[in-house]
Amino acid sequence: MADASRGADGDRYTLRDRLAGRLRGRLLTALAVVTSAVLVAAFYYPVGTVLIEAVVVDGAPTLGVFAELLRDPFYFGEFARLFAGESPLAVARALLSPDRRLGIVGFTAYQAALSTVASVALGLPAAYLLARFEFPGRRTLRSLTIVPFVLPSIMVAVGFVATFGTGGTLNGVLGALGLPPVDLMFTLEAIVIAHAFYNAPLVARVTTAAWESVDASAVETARSLGAGPVRAFFDVVAPQVYPAVLTGAALTFVFTFGTFPIVLALGGFELATVEVFVYRLVRDLNYAEAAALAIVELVISLGVLLAYLRYEAKNTVSSRGVRPLPRKSLIPSTPSLREVLPRLGLAAYVVVAGLVFVAPIASMVLASVTGGDGALTLDHYRFLIDRQQTGAAFQVRPWPAIRNSLAFASAATLLALPMGVVVAVLTTRRFRGRKLVDAAAMAPLAVSGIIVGLGLLRGLVFGVEIAGWRFAATGAVAIVVAHAVAGYPFVVRTVAPGLEGLDRSLIESARALGASRARVIRDVELPLVWPGVVAGAAFAFAISIGEFTATVVLATGADAYTMPVAIERFIGRRLGPATAMGVVLLVVTGCSFVVIERLGGETRGL
Amino acid sequence: MGSEGAPSSGGADSDAPPAVELDGVTKRYGDTAAVDDVSLGVREGEFFTLVGPSGCGKTTTLRLIAGFEEPTAGTIRFSGESVAGVPPEDRDVGVVFQNYALFPHMTVGENVGYGLNFADPPAGMSRDERVAELLELVDLPDAADRDPESLSGGQRQRVAMARALAPGPDLLLLDEPMSALDAQLRERLRVQVRKIQSELGITTVYVTHDQEEALAISDRVAVMRDGRPEQIAPPRTVYRKPSSRFVAEFVGDNNVFAGRVVDVEEGAVEGDDVPRIAAVDVGGEILRVDIDDVDIEPGDRRTFCVRPEYLRIGDGESRLRATVESAEFLGETTRVTLDWGGRDLVVRTRDPLSGEVVVGFDTEDAHVIDSDGA
Repeated sequence: MADASRGADGDRYTLRDRLAGRLRGRLLTALAVVTSAVLVAAFYYPVGTVLIEAVVVDGAPTLGVFAELLRDPFYFGEFARLFAGESPLAVARALLSPDRRLGIVGFTAYQAALSTVASVALGLPAAYLLARFEFPGRRTLRSLTIVPFVLPSIMVAVGFVATFGTGGTLNGVLGALGLPPVDLMFTLEAIVIAHAFYNAPLVARVTTAAWESVDASAVETARSLGAGPVRAFFDVVAPQVYPAVLTGAALTFVFTFGTFPIVLALGGFELATVEVFVYRLVRDLNYAEAAALAIVELVISLGVLLAYLRYEAKNTVSSRGVRPLPRKSLIPSTPSLREVLPRLGLAAYVVVAGLVFVAPIASMVLASVTGGDGALTLDHYRFLIDRQQTGAAFQVRPWPAIRNSLAFASAATLLALPMGVVVAVLTTRRFRGRKLVDAAAMAPLAVSGIIVGLGLLRGLVFGVEIAGWRFAATGAVAIVVAHAVAGYPFVVRTVAPGLEGLDRSLIESARALGASRARVIRDVELPLVWPGVVAGAAFAFAISIGEFTATVVLATGADAYTMPVAIERFIGRRLGPATAMGVVLLVVTGCSFVVIERLGGETRGL
Repeated sequence: MGSEGAPSSGGADSDAPPAVELDGVTKRYGDTAAVDDVSLGVREGEFFTLVGPSGCGKTTTLRLIAGFEEPTAGTIRFSGESVAGVPPEDRDVGVVFQNYALFPHMTVGENVGYGLNFADPPAGMSRDERVAELLELVDLPDAADRDPESLSGGQRQRVAMARALAPGPDLLLLDEPMSALDAQLRERLRVQVRKIQSELGITTVYVTHDQEEALAISDRVAVMRDGRPEQIAPPRTVYRKPSSRFVAEFVGDNNVFAGRVVDVEEGAVEGDDVPRIAAVDVGGEILRVDIDDVDIEPGDRRTFCVRPEYLRIGDGESRLRATVESAEFLGETTRVTLDWGGRDLVVRTRDPLSGEVVVGFDTEDAHVIDSDGA
C-alpha cells in the first residue's frame, strides 16, 4: 500500500502546478509593469520631453537657462540677488525693507502660505464641531466636506466673481445697507479666500478622522492620573490630532502652490503665480524658460511633499479597536462659561463658514438667473441654447462641452480605477523601496498640469517616432490620459487605507481554500474595500470633470473642449453665460456623484 | 525522543512516509531565525501539536507548512513529496486562524462553500449538500444564511472549522483557534474538535501556547523553544518524562532539583526488576531518585523533577522539611508554595497547611532530566 500511494502522490505536485504557482505569484508584477508603462507613456515621458528643454538648448546641455532664471529678480525677487552672489546679509536686509520684492516664485509661496494658514484656521473649527459634537445632519455635513474639493475650480472661480466682483452679491448687500462698495476682485484676499474654500474642508476632513480615532480611555487615563480636561487635551488629544493638521497643511500648501484656474480667473496676470506664468510662457512659445520655471515649481512642491511623507512615516499610529470620545450635545448641559463659550464660538464660525462656502455657489446660481437690470431672467440659459443652435463652428457651444466632459470623465475613470487599485495593492505590501514606488506613483499630484498638458500635446498629439513608426493620439485621447493620470492618485488614496486595514488572515484563509492570489483580490479584497473603490471612482470622475489646466492646453484649437474650458472662454467676455454654464456643470457634477453613490452605496475613505 | 507511544489512529504502515515532514527547516527574518533547523514528522491521521511560549516559532512553523512562507533552508514534504514553491492554494490544506478570518461580506454558507469554488464536493453530492453536511458536523445546522457578524465567538470558530474542512483537505492546520474564547467554552470546543478530527481521520497540526490544551487534545506534542522543538513525544511522556528543564517547567507545575550525585545503587543483576537508584546531594540534603537507564556516575551534576501531585505531606521515601509560604485555593485542591532553604517547592493538597511541614516523594516518582539541565 505504501508504495502504491507513494506513486500516486508522486504526481501530486507536477511541474505545471509549480510553474502555474510561480506565474500566478507574478501576476501582480505583470499588472504593475502595465501600470508603470501607462505612467511612463502618459506622464514621465511627456513631462520629461518638456523638462529636458530647460537643460538642453540647441542640442547642447546647459544650465544657463536656470542660472538666468535664478538671478532674475522678476522671478525670485530679493532672493535673486542671493543667487547672483550677493551676501545673505544684504539679502536679508532687503527682505526686511518695506519695498521688498518677492518675485513670482516668492509671491507664489507667499500666497500659498497665507492660503494654508487661512485653510487651517477655517478647517480646525469644523473638525472640532464634527469630531466632538452630535447634532442632526452631522453625518451629511461630514460627507459634504468632500464636495468643495472635487468642485471644478473654474466653477468656484465663477462663483467667487459672482460673489465678490464689482456687481457681485457682496456689493449688492453692502449697497442695500448703505455701505460703500468693496472691490475684492484681482486682490490677494480673493485668491486666499478661494483657496480656503477649497482646502479648509480637506483640513477639516483629515483632522476629524484623526480626532475621532483618539481613544477615550487614553483621555480617561490622563484624567485619572490627575490631568484636568485642558491639560488632558494638550497631553493626549492634541499630539494625536496634530499630525493630521500637518497633513492637511502640507497638502494645502502643495495644491495652492501649483494653483492655476483660480488665480487666472481671480488674479489675472497682475497677481500671477508660477503656474500662471508657465502658462503664459507656453503661450508665448518660450518653452525653455517655461520648463525651467516648471522644474523650480516641481522641486519646491516635491520638497514639501517628501518632507511631509518622511514625517508621516515617523508618526503613523494604528488606531484599531479604539473607543472614540463621546460626542457632546450642541445644547449646553449647564449654563456655565466652559459649556457655553465653545458653542458660541462655533456659532460665530458657522456664520463665517456659511459665507465662505455657501455664498459663492448661491451667488453663481443667483447670477445665472439675474439680468443686467437685476430682475430675474432666463436670458443667460437662452443664450446658451441659442449658441448651441446658431453658433459658428469656431464658437464655444454648450452641448459638445457637456458631452466631451462626460465622455472624457467616464473614460478617464475606467483607466484610473485599475491603475489606482494596482498601485494601492502594491504600496500596501511590505517590500524594499515601497516608499519610492509610493512617491513615483504620487508624483502627478505635484507636477504642473500645464507641463503635463504640454508634454502630452507635443509627445502624443503631435506624435512620436519610435523605430520608424509614428505614434500619434488625438487630442481627446491625450485629455483622457491626462485626466486619468491626474485622478488615479486619489483612487490609490481611497483604496489603500482599506487594504492596509484588511486582516492578513482573510487573504491567507482564501489562499488555503484554493484561491489564487489574483482570485483573492477579486473575491475578498475588492469586495471588502468596495466603498473605497467607489469613492475613488467618484474622485477620478470629478477630477476629470473639473480638470482645467491640462485640458486648456490640449484643447487648443481642437473641438475637444470641456465644460470648464467653455466657462473660461465665456468668463472673459460676459459673466452671465459663464454662471449659467457653471450651474450646468454643477448639476452634471452633482448628478454623477448621486449616480455613483447609489451604485456603490456608502462612500468613505480619504 | 518521541520513541514512546504509537499514534492512536491512522494505522499507516511504519514505512510509509510521514504525512508532513520537516527536514532541517529554517526560517530567518533578517538576522533572527524564527524557526531554526527543525526536523519532525507528522504521521497520517495524527493530531500533532506545536506548543510553546510566544516567539518560540510554532506559528511560523505552521505558516511554513501552509505555504504562506517559504523556508530559508530545508525541505518540507507532504507524503514524501517536496512542496517547495507550491503556493498555498495548491497544497490541499485547511487552515483555521485564531481570529477565524471569516469573510465578513459573505454569509456563513458562502464562507463554508468558498473552497468548493476550487475543489469538487465529494462524488454524488451538490455544493449546497456539502455545506449543509459540514454545518451539521460542527453543530450549526441552521446557520447557513446567517451573517458571520451575528455569531458568537464559539460559533465563528466552528464555522471556520467547517470552512476549512469543506473542500476535503489532506491536512488541517489550526493556529491557536481557541485562544480568543473563555475557558469553559474552550474546554467544550476542544472535545468537539478532537471528535471531528478522529471521525474524519484527518492529519492535523495544532498550534497553541496553552500546555494544558496541548496535553488534552494531542496524539503527540512538540514543545518548542527559540525556534526548535525541545521534545517531541506523546502527552504522557512529555508530562512524566520531560527531556529538559525547560519542558519540565513549561508543561504543568513542577519541582526541579539540581544537585551532585553522591552514590549510585545498581540493580543486583542486569535486567533485574530492582531499580537503579541515585543519591543526590541537593543543598546538603540527600534525596534518592530512580534513574532508570540514564547513564549516571557519582560526582555528576544532575537535575531531576517531581510533580507537585507526587510530593506527599509527611510521607515518601525521600523527605525534606519546608515552611509554608503561601496557598492558593483552586477548588478541588489547594496549591501550596513551600520554602525549602531558599528554594520554592509546590505541593497540591486537600487539607490546609501552615507552619513547618515534612514533605517527601517516592524514588520512582522522581524523573531525572536526560539533558544537562541548564
